[in-house]
Amino acid sequence: MAGTVLVAFVICAPLSSLVIWSFARRWSWPHPFPQELGLFYWRKVLEGDLLRALQSGFLIAVVVTAATLVLTVPLAYLLARYPVPFKAAILLVFLLPHAFPQLPVFVNATTLLYRVNLAASFSGVVLIHMVGALVYAVWTMTAVFRSIPESLEEAAWNLGASRLKTFVTVALPLATPGLVASTLLVFLYSLDEFTGTLLVGSPFVLTLPVYMYRTSVGYELQVASIAALILMLPGLVLLVVLERYLKSEYLSMFGRL
Amino acid sequence: MAAPSLAIVVWLFFVPFLSSAHLSFLRDGQWSLQNYALVWRLYKIDVVYTLGISLVSLGLVIGIAALVCGYLRIVGHRSVEFLFKVPLFVPFVVVGHGMRVLLAPRGTLNSALAQVGVVDLSDPPSIAFTWIGIVISLVWKNLALAVLLVLGAYRAVDEAFLEAARNMGASTFRQIRDILLPISAPSLVVASAFMFTSMLASFSVPLMIGGGEPPHMLMVDVYYRINYQDDLGTANALGVVSYLFAMGVAGYYLRTITVRPP
Repeated sequence: MAGTVLVAFVICAPLSSLVIWSFARRWSWPHPFPQELGLFYWRKVLEGDLLRALQSGFLIAVVVTAATLVLTVPLAYLLARYPVPFKAAILLVFLLPHAFPQLPVFVNATTLLYRVNLAASFSGVVLIHMVGALVYAVWTMTAVFRSIPESLEEAAWNLGASRLKTFVTVALPLATPGLVASTLLVFLYSLDEFTGTLLVGSPFVLTLPVYMYRTSVGYELQVASIAALILMLPGLVLLVVLERYLKSEYLSMFGRL
Repeated sequence: MAAPSLAIVVWLFFVPFLSSAHLSFLRDGQWSLQNYALVWRLYKIDVVYTLGISLVSLGLVIGIAALVCGYLRIVGHRSVEFLFKVPLFVPFVVVGHGMRVLLAPRGTLNSALAQVGVVDLSDPPSIAFTWIGIVISLVWKNLALAVLLVLGAYRAVDEAFLEAARNMGASTFRQIRDILLPISAPSLVVASAFMFTSMLASFSVPLMIGGGEPPHMLMVDVYYRINYQDDLGTANALGVVSYLFAMGVAGYYLRTITVRPP
């Protein structure tokens, strides 16, 4: 019992401070609680830049997710079903952005995007998000397609269905849990992406994490805290949804090739 | 078919990655080792600082996860297990900001402790803008992943081993130390490699919680070098140093997993 309380405190302490700050109207040191509570800052925020940053980030995430799925689902099917040369190497390439520090690489990538006029643009940010997001979709969908018994597709071929029709009517529907997982992972990654957006998006394209960073180094901690809370919501939704699927047993072989 | 997605990663990651090496040897358009000399002169402390923070954080994360998961595996506790999944879905920037608000000299933690007389109001300790704050943030966030992976590894261990140990009178701690840990060691190494690399490369957390004074973590140095000094050469030299560390860790990971157990 004591253990649960301790863990709950440790997990919730940083988050609860954000909640209090977001409802504080006036709070000066050293009072333990705000002197004035209110929805003042929530209202202020809804009229200002935060909403624009939120919309921007949301739209980028949607585009990133759609583009990623379109590009990776066929590729994953190929990798799962056909003897593609250098399969392991291809899969590992997608992992590179997570194996090496992103900041110095993205600094140089920004220069490359600048040369083709894509820096500080919506498309540039979408592209830099995809660099890191592709791996979630490729690895998940490859594993999912591999787990679908080929005999089911063979049955369809035997009945005269073309490869494409079999893919669409047999493989894809069976792969739905993987599609859902990939969609949520990619969407969340894009929504929360900070480093690439800071470098590539500045100064015109703002997403919520970058907006949150900018306001948190200022003095309006209430605005930053509200941004932080809003940023957490999609993650918490994903947590609840994946709680059914995120059994630790499935991850016992994580990373072991 | 594979081309577009591979192309994106190659163009916007692999190529810039390689050009780091190239740019790190350029200064004012000339081939030069000056950048690396600067890195040695100005940033060697930061390299040690970054490695130190990452090692301490990793040690804490693995240590806590090994014990907590042992308890969760043997005794079981649904709500604690759920609570540990929460930080997985909290973005790094939110962790940074939340920790800052909590641990700052005038933050909520000190304020709460002051009510019970532990903290002196006129001279509150500052955890936030020091290495301790960074370690706490990294541990908080990575513990979720560690618990998930370690618990998965523990759950793959045959219950028969634990039963045999229990029959011979082993306590929970002995079961963890003598059975669960040795059998799932490879999985722990994998998890450690993964988390260590991400800690070395952390940017948003030290940016928000690291404080203005040196030493800084390496990624913050890279950012400041680019943003305030426009020094592409040295920034890339720092980048190359960080890649070397990452490659070292990756090499260690590959060596461990390709040694098949008999």
